Amino acid sequence: MADNSDPATFQTQSLSSAEPADSVLVGRTRTGDEDAFEELFNRHRRRVALIASRFFRQREQIEEIIQESFTKAFFALADFSNQQEQSFAAWLARIAFNTCYDELRRRKRRPESSLSEVTEEEAAWLQERLSSGEKDIESAAIERELAAKLLAHLSPEDRYVLVMLDVEGLSVAEIAGLTKWSAAKVKVRAHRARGRLRNLLKRFM
Amino acid sequence: MLNGKENRSVPRATLDSVGRDIIRASADNDREAAAAAQSPFLFSRLRTRINAERERRAEDENWITTLRILWRAIPSMALVAVFAFLLFLSTGTQTSTSLSDTALLGERGTGVERVVLTDQTAISNEDVLATIMSEDGEASK
Repeated sequence: MADNSDPATFQTQSLSSAEPADSVLVGRTRTGDEDAFEELFNRHRRRVALIASRFFRQREQIEEIIQESFTKAFFALADFSNQQEQSFAAWLARIAFNTCYDELRRRKRRPESSLSEVTEEEAAWLQERLSSGEKDIESAAIERELAAKLLAHLSPEDRYVLVMLDVEGLSVAEIAGLTKWSAAKVKVRAHRARGRLRNLLKRFM
Repeated sequence: MLNGKENRSVPRATLDSVGRDIIRASADNDREAAAAAQSPFLFSRLRTRINAERERRAEDENWITTLRILWRAIPSMALVAVFAFLLFLSTGTQTSTSLSDTALLGERGTGVERVVLTDQTAISNEDVLATIMSEDGEASK
């Protein structure tokens, strides 16, 4: 699952030698070339969509994150020019992650986020899963639905850190770099998040 | 590793393992991601959004410019007001000692000023009577 573990080396569309590099396209975009920005968009939108899909399930939500991320990137291109030590892809990934985090926090303020209820079937599946410890591949759909409902009870910070660690496979240092948190804060946050998730699961025993 | 205080039946490692699976299951959404990335008119909508954001930032910039002008104008206006007040005070002290009403109001004033001046220079009935009485007194002597 952690196929794109390093934000600096994540998948982008392969470039032929004739195609201009990202840095060249960024320079052209800054001079007002919209085609260059469209090319950047086409190269990186799939990766931004993948990042958004780690946190949001619905297609409309993912599209919203894509647009918001690229809009932020467009107006922050001047900042990118001063950070040539990292690639455009890594820089854009950080914007996308932060956009997801902002959106998680925004949605958490809405009351309907906590209204999701676990069905009896899902509770039974979870009890079986917890008691046997074996994963039933056929019940992946139930697991996805249940996961969405359970994670709605976690705080945005907890969910953000757990996805970064368990799905993206990032290290504490990499998460600290992305979030601008200290490494100690990331560790504490991860520890507390796992504790809260355990407590959530115990409710079904 | 059992956490007997919190839960006697489920090992903590199992809870963590199931928790990880749940996190990964929630993030296993590649099909929707691909569909969203290939959504038609996505860049057109992005361009519209960027233009709207650009206009909003331009409006904000106008407000910031106005506030910046006000920020500079208010101290200048306050300084001018202080100078004017000080000038008024210094002029006021000079007026009380050296200037008469005539000098302040001018020779060619309005009707009101004339009344003031007339009241100041006119000879009253008492003055006339006193003058006649004193002249009569001198004549009788």
